[in-house]
Amino acid sequence: MPQLRDSGTRAAHDAGATPAAELDGFQRIFGIETEYGVSVTGADRPVDAGQVAMTMFQPVVSRARSTNTYLDNGARLYLDVGSHPEYATAEARDPLDALAQDAAGERIMASLAAEAQKRLRESHGAGAAIHVFKNNVDSAGHAFGCHENYLVRRFVPLETIERQLLPFLITRQLYTGAGRFTSDGFQITQRADFLDEAVSSATTRSRPMVNTRDEPHADPESFRRLHVIIGDSNRSHWATWMKLASTHLVLCVIEEAVRRGVPSGFEDLAFDDPAAANRMVSRWLDADAAEHAESGASPVDALAVQHRYLDAVEAFVRGRHAAVAASLPRTDVDAVLDAWRWALDALGRRDVAALATRVDWAAKYRLAEAMRRRKGGDLPLAQLERMELDYHDVANGRLYASLVAHGQLAEGVSGVVPAGDGDGTCADGCGDVRDGSTTMDALVRRAMHTPPADTRAALRGAFVRRALDAGAQFSCDWTTLVVSAPLRRETTLLDPFHAGETDDYRALMAALQTNR
Amino acid sequence: MPQEFQQTNRTQQEQPQDAQETGVSAQAAAQSQEGFDALDAVLDDIESTLETNAEEYVNSFVQKGGE
Repeated sequence: MPQLRDSGTRAAHDAGATPAAELDGFQRIFGIETEYGVSVTGADRPVDAGQVAMTMFQPVVSRARSTNTYLDNGARLYLDVGSHPEYATAEARDPLDALAQDAAGERIMASLAAEAQKRLRESHGAGAAIHVFKNNVDSAGHAFGCHENYLVRRFVPLETIERQLLPFLITRQLYTGAGRFTSDGFQITQRADFLDEAVSSATTRSRPMVNTRDEPHADPESFRRLHVIIGDSNRSHWATWMKLASTHLVLCVIEEAVRRGVPSGFEDLAFDDPAAANRMVSRWLDADAAEHAESGASPVDALAVQHRYLDAVEAFVRGRHAAVAASLPRTDVDAVLDAWRWALDALGRRDVAALATRVDWAAKYRLAEAMRRRKGGDLPLAQLERMELDYHDVANGRLYASLVAHGQLAEGVSGVVPAGDGDGTCADGCGDVRDGSTTMDALVRRAMHTPPADTRAALRGAFVRRALDAGAQFSCDWTTLVVSAPLRRETTLLDPFHAGETDDYRALMAALQTNR
Repeated sequence: MPQEFQQTNRTQQEQPQDAQETGVSAQAAAQSQEGFDALDAVLDDIESTLETNAEEYVNSFVQKGGE
């Protein structure tokens, strides 16, 4: 019976020391946890969020006898507090892999919703439609999250991360914010009004920006898991990729500075009041307008802060290009820097039309302008909110797909380099990533049932696949795989960078084979 | 008018990276700099959806916070 146990780090000391290469280099593990919102329209009688979520999870429960499970792509699928379907990507070494896994999660949610909608229509009328929102706020102002995880070397003190990374996380929202229409205007982020503390150990009672709940799911002597809460859920592939890739590079600078005992250059960027700064960045368009009107200086010059980070990161990458490039097996580090520079330049020009091809908030903002123009005046807030929700609805929404189909929003990302020998093909023939967006589609489709090949997730995914095929009782968490019947066996996989089979793992897999 | 729009779009193509522009469809990478006419096709797609029961649709989305 698959039951989740967050074993976390309990077996840490059994598994031996962390390989020096993992500590000395810049390689990282990335993960994204996305909570979805749910609703039903067009039903004969009301259906609340709890019912929708349970209907969606019926197949999961009948398979796993739990609303928590791991999938054969290595990801975790579960029902979170507040009836939020949640999907956590498998461990990825590259932002592109994390993006493909996250986008695969959208499709898995969409498919659960489509099945549930069929069942719901039998009981609640043929017009019932299930909406699954990849956003961060419901209509009553309840907020929920999209959390990023970064494996960070433990020799970096948490206070250093807080002080040197937080200004980056707050200001990167200029190009990673998902945007939100509110009764008092447009904000470029979904969540600024709901985040108060900079760093905290809890997420449900108070809402911090960076969470210290330190479960590295790796050797705790060597690593901590940085849990970033401040970000929005993105539909834009570019935005998801950029937020992971740019944050990775800033973390590389911070880690290397601590490693060598030299300044990072980010020491003086901390905001006195991070929550206030965050709200101000979210009102960037307003502040900008005010600034132009009064020629007064904006108290938080978010764009200038971003330029400071980018300049430092560019100089850093120039100095150790091979080592940093090696930390990103599929993403070209120069393409990240180019994309980052492009975004800051477009922001500097206030070029919303250019940004709208990649940045979620800009896509929405530009669309609202077009709607106003067509109507010849202001629109009721409800219509803007309706448009916005449609953009985030991965089940029945039409807007995102329409923007992509009409060339208004880029699907896929720029600057990926292929795995392996660099000739543009994946090892298992998934196609050439340079072909265009159809191949991004192929990457996402593949990620629905295929874990990243170069992390622990490869082992977990194969285990889940075989256990399901064998009809075996099994359970997982991030570091442990367990077969519970007929004979109990388990194995611990402490090193997330390690995709090689251990003796324990082979024995576990062999036992499943025998069960068949 | 979708077809006219697509042509305009191609001539205005301007990409943030040239050599490294991989994985992005050329059309999607195009940036429309001119007004909002280019969005007409998108608005046509969604207009009827957006105008029906906007308020009911929005208000039906209520759940407790998560995280």
